[in-house]
Amino acid sequence: MAKNNKKLLIFFAFILLSSFIIISPDWLKINGITPSWPVILMLPFSLINSRLKSSIASIILGIFIDSFTISDVSYIPSLLLLSLIWSTYGLHNKKIESFLNIGLMAIFGTAFVGFSIWLQKIILYSVLRNYWFHSWSIYVLISEVIITGLVAPFFSSWLLLAYKKN
Amino acid sequence: MIKSRVRIGFHLLLKRRFWSILLFGSLLFLIRWTKGAGYLDLYSVLLKPILPGTAQREWIKEGENIERNIRLKLLEKDNSRLRRALSLKNFNPDQRISAAVISRSSRNWWQQLEINKGTNDGVLKGQTVIGPGGLIGLVDSTTPLTARVRLLTDPGHQVGAWIDRTKRHGILTGMGTNRPKLIFLNKNSLAEIGDAVTTSPASTLLPPNLTIGIVQFVDEKALPSPYAIVQLTASPDAIDWVQILKNNGQK
Repeated sequence: MAKNNKKLLIFFAFILLSSFIIISPDWLKINGITPSWPVILMLPFSLINSRLKSSIASIILGIFIDSFTISDVSYIPSLLLLSLIWSTYGLHNKKIESFLNIGLMAIFGTAFVGFSIWLQKIILYSVLRNYWFHSWSIYVLISEVIITGLVAPFFSSWLLLAYKKN
Repeated sequence: MIKSRVRIGFHLLLKRRFWSILLFGSLLFLIRWTKGAGYLDLYSVLLKPILPGTAQREWIKEGENIERNIRLKLLEKDNSRLRRALSLKNFNPDQRISAAVISRSSRNWWQQLEINKGTNDGVLKGQTVIGPGGLIGLVDSTTPLTARVRLLTDPGHQVGAWIDRTKRHGILTGMGTNRPKLIFLNKNSLAEIGDAVTTSPASTLLPPNLTIGIVQFVDEKALPSPYAIVQLTASPDAIDWVQILKNNGQK
């Protein structure tokens, strides 16, 4: 019974988080920027599972998230790399459920994902290459890192505990 | 004799009639001297309650607006007839679909809106989306019930625009902020701060003369071509309802 409840918890967590991606509620924004939901979802899964499982999950999640965006820029490369790093780290670390540790990992992950998108945009759009300092990207990156850092300790650690107890 | 005259003179001062005449005379002098100011002021005070008030002002304004609307419609008809004669793209205000914004991501890595009208309502990819203030973006993708709008501010998004005053064309490029960049096609843009940026009347993709924004900064010496920073008149952050121009407003 308890196991079924945990499964239900994970199921609802995924439903809830994926609906946040679509709805992007205003009360979960900083300066109009939402948390990096792929990082929040990917982090606990990668820490618990093997590299192979994590990398497959990251590709699936990347495809899912990319379907909600408009341009050719993709989440997949950065998520794949992060899932490999996190799964390697998670397999050797016994104190991964530490509250702040999760937040810190989410912050670095969000920064990495943000840089990846920024770089892809610069490569794709020649007009952005003329200016190396893009005020919008710095703004988005910092805001996204802050809000993800605030949200991840709750959502990611909750998911992580649910995974571990399963 | 003199004594009796003085007595009569002083006696006059005691008469009420004398004082009445004096008061009347002074009043008359005062009215003449002030050119009837007191009378006019009193008249205006008494007239105040029955003067045309705010309601009447509103009626006049409403009348003016109706007149302007009629003139605008006549001009639009005239414009449409002339554009047809020149085989240019037309802007038909009747072919619009109103839609509500159901999800907004106007400041993120991807600057987009999700609206609640899709292919079932005739929304197609590439159609123009306008809001209060002017052009917002273009439809990027559709589902049967929703459509995704790529905003003008999205980094790398490019649409043709021009400055009506100088008749110079350019490419409006999203830079991620509310101020896209208008890269001119001519070496000499002649643009000035405050110029209105609209869609080109010669455009084959967008409806003509849609307001985009106001020029805020011009760099004439920029290489390879001059550019201007444009402040958008429509703010995607605050818009809840948009209108999609069916077939880009083309008949």
